[in-house]
Amino acid sequence: MSQFLLVLVSGVASGAVYGLMGLGLVIIYRATDVVNFAMASLATLGLYVALSLHDRGVATALGVLAAVAITVAAGLVVRETVIRPLGQGQLFSALVVTMGVSLVAESVAGSIWGDQPKSFPSLVDGSVRWSGAAVPVQSLLTIAVAAVAMALVGYLFARTTLGSAMRAAAESADTARVVGLSSGRLARISWALGLGLAALAACLYAPRSGLVPTALVAPLFRAFAGIFLGGLTSMYGAVLGGLTIGVLDNMAANYVSASFRDTFVFSFTVLVLLIRPQGMFGARTFQRV
Amino acid sequence: MVFNRSLLARAALGPAAGAVLMAFMASGAIPAYQMYSVGLAAVYTIVVLSVGLLAGWSGIWSVGHPAFFAIGAYFAAYGSGHDWPLEAVVLGAVATGAVLGAFLGYAGARFSVLYIALLTLAFTTVTLELINRWSSVTGGDQGVPVVQLRSALGFGTLLGGGTEAQYLAVGAAAVVLALAVPAAASGLRMRLVAAKSHPLAARTIGIAPEAQSSLSFAVSAACTCFAGVLLGLLTGFVSPDPFSLTFGISLIAACVLGGVGTILGAAAGGIYLTWNPSLSSAVGMPQPVVQGLVLIAVLLFLPGGVVPFLAKPARSLLRRVQRRPDAEVPLPADELTKPAPLGPSGDGPVLLHLEHVSVSYGGLKALEDASLSLRQNEILAVIGPNGAGKTTLLNALSGLTGNGRVSGSAEFAGRPLLKARATARRRLGIGRTFQHAEVFSELTVAENVLCTRRRITAGDRAEVARLLHSVGLADVADRRPGELPFGLQKRLDLARAMAENPKLLILDEPFGGLDAGERALLARHIRRLHAEGTAVVVIDHVLDDLFSVAHRVLAFDFGRTIGEGTPDTVLQDPKVRSSYLGTVEGRTRPPTQAGERSMIRLHGVGHTYGGVVALRDVDLDVRQGVVLGIAGANGAGKSTLAGILHGSLEPARGDRESGGAVRTSLAPEGRALFKTLSLRENLEVAAYGAGITGAPLRERLEETVQWLPARLRDRLSASAGGLSGGEQQMLAIARALIVAPDVLIVDEPALGLAPALVDEVYDRLARLAHDGLTVVLLEQLLSRAMSVCHEVAVLHEGVVAAQGRPGDPEFAALAEAAYFSGGLDPATTTAAANARTSSVN
Repeated sequence: MSQFLLVLVSGVASGAVYGLMGLGLVIIYRATDVVNFAMASLATLGLYVALSLHDRGVATALGVLAAVAITVAAGLVVRETVIRPLGQGQLFSALVVTMGVSLVAESVAGSIWGDQPKSFPSLVDGSVRWSGAAVPVQSLLTIAVAAVAMALVGYLFARTTLGSAMRAAAESADTARVVGLSSGRLARISWALGLGLAALAACLYAPRSGLVPTALVAPLFRAFAGIFLGGLTSMYGAVLGGLTIGVLDNMAANYVSASFRDTFVFSFTVLVLLIRPQGMFGARTFQRV
Repeated sequence: MVFNRSLLARAALGPAAGAVLMAFMASGAIPAYQMYSVGLAAVYTIVVLSVGLLAGWSGIWSVGHPAFFAIGAYFAAYGSGHDWPLEAVVLGAVATGAVLGAFLGYAGARFSVLYIALLTLAFTTVTLELINRWSSVTGGDQGVPVVQLRSALGFGTLLGGGTEAQYLAVGAAAVVLALAVPAAASGLRMRLVAAKSHPLAARTIGIAPEAQSSLSFAVSAACTCFAGVLLGLLTGFVSPDPFSLTFGISLIAACVLGGVGTILGAAAGGIYLTWNPSLSSAVGMPQPVVQGLVLIAVLLFLPGGVVPFLAKPARSLLRRVQRRPDAEVPLPADELTKPAPLGPSGDGPVLLHLEHVSVSYGGLKALEDASLSLRQNEILAVIGPNGAGKTTLLNALSGLTGNGRVSGSAEFAGRPLLKARATARRRLGIGRTFQHAEVFSELTVAENVLCTRRRITAGDRAEVARLLHSVGLADVADRRPGELPFGLQKRLDLARAMAENPKLLILDEPFGGLDAGERALLARHIRRLHAEGTAVVVIDHVLDDLFSVAHRVLAFDFGRTIGEGTPDTVLQDPKVRSSYLGTVEGRTRPPTQAGERSMIRLHGVGHTYGGVVALRDVDLDVRQGVVLGIAGANGAGKSTLAGILHGSLEPARGDRESGGAVRTSLAPEGRALFKTLSLRENLEVAAYGAGITGAPLRERLEETVQWLPARLRDRLSASAGGLSGGEQQMLAIARALIVAPDVLIVDEPALGLAPALVDEVYDRLARLAHDGLTVVLLEQLLSRAMSVCHEVAVLHEGVVAAQGRPGDPEFAALAEAAYFSGGLDPATTTAAANARTSSVN
């Protein structure tokens, strides 16, 4: 039982990370029709900066803020220089361009900071005992931080006029233009928000995985699985899909086979999609002539 | 498939190049250390060709090909370790690839391009994980050697890593390239591209997109598995390293670089992949950086790829040399001038019989209880205002109702129709055209028609050439539809529907967007089709032309049949007449006088969409306090004019002046609410968009909410999508009012509303006018515009055909004539004193 509890907590903690990343992907996708593959590698740059600061004795929390700032800045530069010139509605080209950006960013990170694995500081250490299991505090903190971040995003989108405007622009860019919303500004805010969430997720994930230039590729893929499970345009779907993937992933690793966890997770996702092509929460679209 | 000489010559290019290359290799002209690279380039060429043609022809971008490449290579390794013959290895790899590919292609057809990219990404991830962990077969990250493969058919033994393998790779690439050339000219490719460029239109000519993408993915995956076997033989050792996801990204880069869907481009891509490491070390940057930068640069600056970029000037040079000087106008003029009269409708047997057919989408009944019957050799016109259910009727006939629920029964040529799939209806003998000429943009004009055939014979080509000649498209047969004006695209749409001589032709607004000459030509075509014995169902808003080709007219409104008659009599039916002109009397009259200050003024404004003229030479003056009605049938250019008056649409010609700081706001056609947002959020967002925030926003919100009817005030937190049509319209107007506009522009507020609700909406608009707001009202019904406005301008085919005051008795007749046909005879229109008119054409 205590083993199960441990797996569950660690699954929810992983799922919270995937959910945050997925949320960032969905926010950017809804606002600008870009599936941002480069999100993980840009966040990796942020992580390396945070680690360098930590090595110079800066507090970890400040390092996290720096990681977020660097990731957001890098993301906005990417958007202005290589995504915007592509023009509107270039779904696949935009995806491939972000793949290219991610190749470059990973390689740059490798050449500056080296390809050797480094350990990333935990925000907290130790564990608490809970019905006979030693639950790491870092896992609980991950869940708590992710929950607060998600709640803030929820508040922004559900309760503020800016959030309503972002949802409005995501629903129909044409109508948003008619009522005078500035799509460029909303797009920049969405990118900043999405990348900020990714950087936060990265800071929560890195203590467990260690840091190499490709450290975030695995959680990015699982976040992808999560958002496809949840439906590409649903923010709730991204969070719930991420949590589902996280729990499944940890369950599979512990109870099925540690070697085939991705096989299990992706097969599950594909099966769900074959039954429900629009994901669990996505809206079915219909083409009219 | 037709083999002509030029095709054979092009197909022979691959083997010829391969033979030359092999001769070089044998003569020792290629240094030994480059021999391996040449072989590798040949293998990569096959893979890039597989990925590129799949993307170019089927629109499927696969990130899963590294996995297929790996499967082939491991087949070679496993076969070598277990003494399988070479043929068995190749067969096994190809069959495995085909089966997996067919599954991915079938599953992928249900998804958008992004989902397929992710689906194939998942496939690669899973396969790589299996390869890494299943070490008893794959050797894990240690890898396995490919020692040798012996041919069972006696072709000798291939050593892994030997020179024979290099020759084999080059030879295989040459053969694959040679096979791709005739495939590119085949009906198969045309059908694939058709299914990719317009899946819905493809269904109407009998192409099922799922089957097409499954087939193409299977072939592509099989080829890549084959290339994997070659790779195993070439390297003599297989490990997981070469099959990373980075390789998948590089493959896409190579495809885009060479030119997606071009055969020569694949060879260029293969060469790029092979020598990318040398290139990187030459420029002194890490390989991934070079790959990433090349990828970004190509997508930004050369999205078509290098080969098409270089080939384009060469081809246009060739064309200029070959092209004979021929007339630009592709139609014989003498046939235009003598319109053949419409033959009588036959007493033939009933071809189509509909009984109580209804179509509903969710709660919305788009078509209700439609019954009709059509004889062979009869032309039936269906008329009705916008949203009457006409297009839904056509979609029900051609099987394109999507996820709508269809009930009732229909028989076509004695067979039940409604159960038949869209792709099967073409075989039954039903062809259709689309309002916006939904042609396959990536095929040439001739291919657009040819792709209706599964296999193309010389006879087919001749027949299609005849058909294209008959509609005047023979001279542009090798051009892409996108290069043609809209009128010719509509002719192409018609030609595609007419190919294979359907028994029933369904025409969706065939006259819309055409000029007078083109309309006359189209009418002639329809009459000729009738003379050849084809039954036709046609809907349109251009009534003159429509009635000139119809035997019988059916009128629709609110999804129901409201009248029937001959072209001469149907408009005399008061119900039909009122569905167009309206009968509603506004209860609240507008205030009697308007100010003289000009709020918005348009001078010579014109606008076009992709060659289609929407507005021509419009002069309009919106004065303060006026209620200006702009009446016109569907497609007359009202919404375009609304956007230009609002200022959110920049006119292509002419200018818009607005006096001082005039704030305009628009309630667009069809409401255009944010359906996922609540009522309050819809209002807030509009204020926010106008720069109103904080306390002023709350104040404006409070005021605007007071304007809303009580039943909406209580539901401010409900989502706008749940409102009824009338309620949505109120909210849309409120959303326009929240910014405290000086001019309110309302586009077709009555669209799709029940009469009582229409009255309420108009009542409220009239009260706003009493409060001093300037209102521009775009209205489909002339009589309603006449009853609520100070001034009415009648828009006909993008031109203000009449303008005047509703009180003027002379103007009433003038406006009606302008509404239906652009004006009275020019002689009489000049007599109208108060109205400024301009005749069309």
